[in-house]
Amino acid sequence: MSFIVRQVAKRADGGDIIRTRTLVQAELTVGRGTDCDIQLADLAVMLRHARLVQITAGKVSVETTGGVPVEVGGKFVTRADLAVAENPTIDIGPFRLSLSPGEDGAVAITAERVVPPIEAADAAHETSIFSLSGAMPTKRRMAWVGGLAVLVLLLLVPLFHFIGEGEPALPQTMVAEAARPVTPGQGFGDGKLSVPTARPAAAGGFAPDESWSSGMLSDAHASLSNNCSACHQKAFVSVTDGACQACHTASALPDHAAPARMAKGRLPDGGVMGAAHSAFNLPQGRCTSCHKEHEGAATVMTVAESFCTDCHGGLKSRLADTAVANVPGWAKHPDFRATLVSSPSADKPVFTRAALSGAREKSGLIYPHDIHQSTTNAVANMAQKQRLPQGADGALPCSYCHKADSDQVRFKPIDMEANCGACHDLAFARDGGTVRTLPHGKPAQVAGIIRDFTLSESFAPRAGVQRLSFDRHLPGKAPPPLPGGNPAARAQAAVVSVFTGKGLCTECHVVTDTGAADLTRRFAIAPVSINDHYLPQGQFPHGKHKSYDAKTGQAACVACHTGVTKSKVSTDVNIPGVANCRECHGAPAKTLLSTTAKAGASCDTCHGFHDGVAPTGALPAGHVQPARVAGRQAAGRSRQTPA
Amino acid sequence: MASKTQASRAMTGKAVTRAPRDTAHEGFLNHKRGRWAKVAITLSVVALGAYLLTDPVPRHNGGTWLGYLLGSIGAGMIVWLSLLGVRKRVIGSKPFSLKGWTSAHVYLGLSLIVVGTLHTGFQLGWNVHTLAWALMMIVILSGLWGISLYATLPERLSANRGEVTQLQMLEAIRTLDRQLDIAAQPLDADDAALVRMSLEECRIAGSLGQRLSGNYANDGNARALATIIEKVMTGRRTGRVDDRLAQIEFLLERKEAALAQARRHIRMKTQLELWLYVHVPVTIALLAALLAHIISVFLYW
Repeated sequence: MSFIVRQVAKRADGGDIIRTRTLVQAELTVGRGTDCDIQLADLAVMLRHARLVQITAGKVSVETTGGVPVEVGGKFVTRADLAVAENPTIDIGPFRLSLSPGEDGAVAITAERVVPPIEAADAAHETSIFSLSGAMPTKRRMAWVGGLAVLVLLLLVPLFHFIGEGEPALPQTMVAEAARPVTPGQGFGDGKLSVPTARPAAAGGFAPDESWSSGMLSDAHASLSNNCSACHQKAFVSVTDGACQACHTASALPDHAAPARMAKGRLPDGGVMGAAHSAFNLPQGRCTSCHKEHEGAATVMTVAESFCTDCHGGLKSRLADTAVANVPGWAKHPDFRATLVSSPSADKPVFTRAALSGAREKSGLIYPHDIHQSTTNAVANMAQKQRLPQGADGALPCSYCHKADSDQVRFKPIDMEANCGACHDLAFARDGGTVRTLPHGKPAQVAGIIRDFTLSESFAPRAGVQRLSFDRHLPGKAPPPLPGGNPAARAQAAVVSVFTGKGLCTECHVVTDTGAADLTRRFAIAPVSINDHYLPQGQFPHGKHKSYDAKTGQAACVACHTGVTKSKVSTDVNIPGVANCRECHGAPAKTLLSTTAKAGASCDTCHGFHDGVAPTGALPAGHVQPARVAGRQAAGRSRQTPA
Repeated sequence: MASKTQASRAMTGKAVTRAPRDTAHEGFLNHKRGRWAKVAITLSVVALGAYLLTDPVPRHNGGTWLGYLLGSIGAGMIVWLSLLGVRKRVIGSKPFSLKGWTSAHVYLGLSLIVVGTLHTGFQLGWNVHTLAWALMMIVILSGLWGISLYATLPERLSANRGEVTQLQMLEAIRTLDRQLDIAAQPLDADDAALVRMSLEECRIAGSLGQRLSGNYANDGNARALATIIEKVMTGRRTGRVDDRLAQIEFLLERKEAALAQARRHIRMKTQLELWLYVHVPVTIALLAALLAHIISVFLYW
C-alpha cells in the first residue's frame, strides 16, 4: 500500500522541477495546508481538500473533506472510486492529479498545475494597462468606422438616389400657382412680394439627398423639399432657367426687357468675378443670379438693390435709346415723372409723362379740391346736412371720394353718382312726392327730359309740380321764372338754362353750345378722363401708408399730398415727389445705435422686375401700353371716362 | 595699454553679439516667437474684416464669392492640417521641422474656427454641410483640449510617479500579490476568498469610465481590504487579533496604495491620450464629410 507522489513545478525559464516522494500509507491527504501529504499552494484549494484512499490494489477512492467538490472525468463529485489502470485524473482548483499504476503495486500520482497562476500584473500587459488601447477600440478602427459611415450615408446613398431618380414629378397645385400671372400690387411696400406663408409639406417622405440641402427652402417651394432634382436636374450644372420656367411660365413672369436689350444694357461681368463666372459656366442674368434659394422661409424673393443698379446705374451709356433715366441708387433716384392726362377723351385719352414741378393735368373736369375740403363753407354745411361722413377736422374726408380698392394699393375709380351724387343730385323738379332727377352722362337724354317736362307743364300744368333751383347757395329759393313766349321757346330756354346756368352741368363740366338745331344735340360736354395711376412704373400701396409722421386719416393723406387743401383747379397735380418718400424710406431710424432704415429702400420696394417689357418712347394714345405683354396691363389700367 | 583697449573692445563686441536662442527647449507654442500665431491671427482678422465689410443679399453663406474663397482656404487648411499625421511619421524630413509644423498645425487649426465658421455664414442646419462644420469644430476643440492637457499634465504625471517606471509600478503590485498569495496560504476558506478577490478581481486600469473618474471602490482589492479591516477591527475589540489577518490587511493596504499611484498615472495618461481618440478619428470623419460636402454642393449646384 504505497503512493508515489510526483509534484511538478514550473521554473522561471519554463523548465519543470519534479520532486518525487514515496509514501507508504493507504491514505493521502490533499490540500493547501502544510500538513497535507500533497500540498497544493493555491487559494482555490481548501486547507484540507480531499482524501485519497487505496481500497484495493489498483483501486483508489477520492473523497472531499473540505466541502468543495473535485472534478473527476469532467464531473464535480464529492466522492468517487477510481480504477488506477484507467489512468484517471482528479482536478482540484488549478491542479490536476493524474493517477497511474506505479512499480510494485504502488499508485503513482502526478500533481501538476494546469491553470497558470493569476498574474495580477504582467509586464506584457503594460501597454493595455497604461494606454487607452486597453479600454477603447483603436483610433484606426474608429476612424474607419466613422469615415465610412459618413461616406456611405451622406455621399453614396444620396448619390445613388440621385442617379436612380427618374423624371421629377412636380406638385400640380404648385405648378398651377406658379403659372398664374403676377398681379400688380401684390403686396409691395416692404421689399418683398407676398409669397405663400403656409408651408405645404412635401409629399413622399424623406429623400436621402435632402441631407445635401444647404438650408431651408422658401415657403413657396417647400413642397419640393424632398424633390431635389425638380430644380437640380443635371449633375454639376447650376440650376438652369429652364428648371424655373417649368413652373414659372414666360406668360406668368414676362421678360423684364427684350433679351437682346437686356444683354446690351447689362454691366459687363469683368475681372476675377467674371473669370470665375465664365470658368464655372455661370452666365449673368439667370433666374438664380438674383433669386437665391435655400436661404430660409421667405427669402427667395429678396434680391439685392445692386442687382438693379448694376444695370440701371449707367444704362444710358450702354443703351443709348432707352427712355429710362439712370438710377445709381435710391439716394440718387431721379424725381418722379408723372403720367398725366394731356388730352381727355371718352374712349382714347392721351397720357404724357412730365416732370412733377410745374406739371398741369387736363382731366377735362372742373373740380376745386379746396372748397370741398373746407370746414366752414357751404360744402361743409351741405355735407353735414346730408349726414355725410366727417373727418377729424369736420371737413369732408378724402376717403369719401377716394375709396381704397380691394388691394388697398390705389383707389376705386371716381363715380359721379356714388361720390358726388349726395350733393350734386341733379334734381330739377318736385313732382308730388317724387323728386325728379336728371341722368348723369347722358346730355341728349337730359335735354329731352327738360324739354318734355317744360312742354307738358305749358300744355297741361299739374298741381304739386314745382321746379327746383339748381343754385345751391341759396337753399329754398324758388328758381327764376322761365321767360315768356310760346311753349317751344320756353322749353328751349329751360334746356339752355340747365346746360349753361349755374349750379348744374357747368359746376363740373365745360359745356359747349354747338348751336345745333336739334335741341338734344346742341350742348356738348367736354370729355373727362380722371387719372387713376400717376406713377404706373412703380407701386405705392396706400394701405400701408395710412399713418405718416404720426398722423392718421385725412391728416396722413395731406401730409404727402400737401397742396390738395389749397388746390383751386383740377389741373393741379398733387403727387408728392421722391424727396417725400425719402423722409422714411432709407432714412435712418431715430433711435440711438440703430442704423436701420425706418422703411425699406430697395428697388423692389416700389418696382417689380417681372412686369413685362416697358414701353419705349412717347406713351401712345390711350396709355394702354401695348408693349407690356402681361402683368400690370391685365390689372386694368381701366380708364374711366365719365361723360 | 593698447592690449587693454583691445581687450575691452573685444569684450564690448562679445556683449553686443546676441547669444543664440536656446530653441531646443522651446515648445511648439513659442516656436520662432509665435510666427504661426501671428499668421493665424492675421488670417482670422482679414477673414472677419472681409465678412463684416461685405453685405451679400440675402445673407452671408458659402455661396457668395467670399463664401467660396473662405471655403477653398478652409478645405485646403483642413487637408494640410490632417497631413501632420503623415509628416510626423516621416522623421527628419525637410524643409520644416516637426516642431515648426506642429506650431503651424496648432495655430492655423485655431484660425480655422474663424475661417470655417464665417464660411458657413452661420447658416446651420441638419445636413452634410453643417455636419462637416460640426466635425471640424469637434476636431479643433479636442485639439485645444489636448494642448491644455499637455500644458499641465506632464508635470503632475512626473510628480506622481517619482522615479518609478510603469513597469516598476506593475512589478510592485505583482510582488504584493505574491506576498499576499503566500501569506494567505494558512487561511481558512472565507478569508482565502477575500484574498482571492484581491488577486483575481482586481483590475489596475479597468474601463474608460474608471480610468477617467479614478473611482475603483468596487474593485476586488478595495472590497477585500474593507472586509479585512472590519474583521481585524472586530478581532482587536475582542482582544483576539489574528496575526495572519493583520498581515493580510497590511499587504492589502500597501497594494491599495500602489494601485492608487498607478491609477493616478493611468488617469493622467488616459486624459493625455483620450483627446487623440477624438481628434484623430473625427478628423478622418471630417475628411469624409468634407468630401461629401464639396461633391454635393457642386453636384447640386
